[in-house]
Amino acid sequence: MRSTGSFPVILTVLALASPRAMADGPYVSISEAVTWQDNVTNAPSGDGIRSAFELESGASVNWVRSIDFSTILTAGVTADVDVCPPYSGLNSLSAGPSVDVRRKLGLGPFAPVLYAEIDVRGAGFVDPERSNVEADLELGLTQRIRDDLQLVLGARTGSYDARDIVFSGNFASLKATVNWDVDETWRLKIIGGWRSGDTVSDYTAMKSPYGWVAVDPDTQYLPGAWHFVRTFGDPFVAYRESVRTWSCGAGISPALGRHTSLALQFMRFDSEGYDRYYEDVVSVSLEHHF
Amino acid sequence: MRAMHRAAAIFLAATTALGAHAAGTVRVVTKDAAGMPVADAVAYVHSLDASTPVHPPSEPVAIIQRDQEFDPYVTPIVVGTRVVFPNRDNVQHHVYSVSPAKKFEIPLYIGESTATIVFDRPGPVTLGCNIHDWMVAYVFVLDTPYFAKTGADGIADISNLPPGRYRLEVWHPRLAGKVGLELTVVEAGDTTQVVSVTLRPDRRIRRAPDTGGVGYK
Repeated sequence: MRSTGSFPVILTVLALASPRAMADGPYVSISEAVTWQDNVTNAPSGDGIRSAFELESGASVNWVRSIDFSTILTAGVTADVDVCPPYSGLNSLSAGPSVDVRRKLGLGPFAPVLYAEIDVRGAGFVDPERSNVEADLELGLTQRIRDDLQLVLGARTGSYDARDIVFSGNFASLKATVNWDVDETWRLKIIGGWRSGDTVSDYTAMKSPYGWVAVDPDTQYLPGAWHFVRTFGDPFVAYRESVRTWSCGAGISPALGRHTSLALQFMRFDSEGYDRYYEDVVSVSLEHHF
Repeated sequence: MRAMHRAAAIFLAATTALGAHAAGTVRVVTKDAAGMPVADAVAYVHSLDASTPVHPPSEPVAIIQRDQEFDPYVTPIVVGTRVVFPNRDNVQHHVYSVSPAKKFEIPLYIGESTATIVFDRPGPVTLGCNIHDWMVAYVFVLDTPYFAKTGADGIADISNLPPGRYRLEVWHPRLAGKVGLELTVVEAGDTTQVVSVTLRPDRRIRRAPDTGGVGYK
């Protein structure tokens, strides 16, 4: 993890140190989001399911540099504060550098754009065992089909190294998004995705002579790492699982001027590992580019 | 030509009146289907009696990039006019056109570009920025010296017209079909033409942010 982080850090430092004539920026953007998750515990059974609101505030500063006529390098830093009022253990502060390279294969708005993005992020949680360092690599393509229709395809792989092995893991994912600008103001979005990798599923726990164990007797035989957590008030055991997740969703996003947009989005996640669980996520977000 | 006449019959509600304006001027009042004034339309006339040579200006015309938009949105010029594209933003732009009347590109630059583009063929030219896809503007290249662009009030005055017969046409980036009609300019006479046009919806690439980040979107 630490060795993978050095590359984007070096690129970011170089980009930030570039003379003004060589790099455009800084571009500052902020985002605010309210998210509701109906199964924040990723629990397969009814008695373990907990829902929660989460408030997210983010800011990023980026510099853009032209490598050649068709290639743009963007480097910057991003910081986010996540607050989950009912479960303060999930409150977190995260920050890290990112580097994005985009190459346009031609001239004009309908030329496809290939991109590669590396993010490195350190996150500190109120529940200290969740604190981690994460590194992601995403490769993708954006293709505008018409003035009002755009397709975005992305493949991402990442690794996160937490203080507790239960909250560490790796993943790979695919995502497809279609953006349709109905008019100058309104954008409709359809999203589909697939993810395979580690995640944490929480089961309600009970005290036994051997310590806290999951209430569900089937979990006694789960091979993965587990950890008793107090995050959700009631006793829970958190298991690391290898899960495949299909997701789909839709959103609507009105533009509030040239630099600001609002978005309302619904996503449904269908995950299957040792057990199968679902999660619905509704979010309202605001993004502004200065 | 017949098609143009038919279009004129459909789209034009022309009224002609002799007024008290300067001699040899055609005032074109452009309105959309709802009767609202149409800005950024180019009204121009061709003489039906004699060919009229055009003389490009000695100084280049400037189309500025400011706040990641082109200014002006529509620029009418005559054939042979030189155009420069100063970049007044603090970001680089990559100006290009793939229009048949003029294909060119000025690769990434900031500040005053040294490139001067000569528009040597008549017709509409769509400008874009290869970095910021929402940036769009139009150059309308004319082979007549008699033209004017409508302001926010939808009015364009084509002045200094010798007496004679002319064909008036109107162009706009969102014009659906061609519009045109014939008119006669009498000596020391002013003419007002009210032109009704049908415009396509204004579909531009959205500029508002999506999921963050900068650069190609």
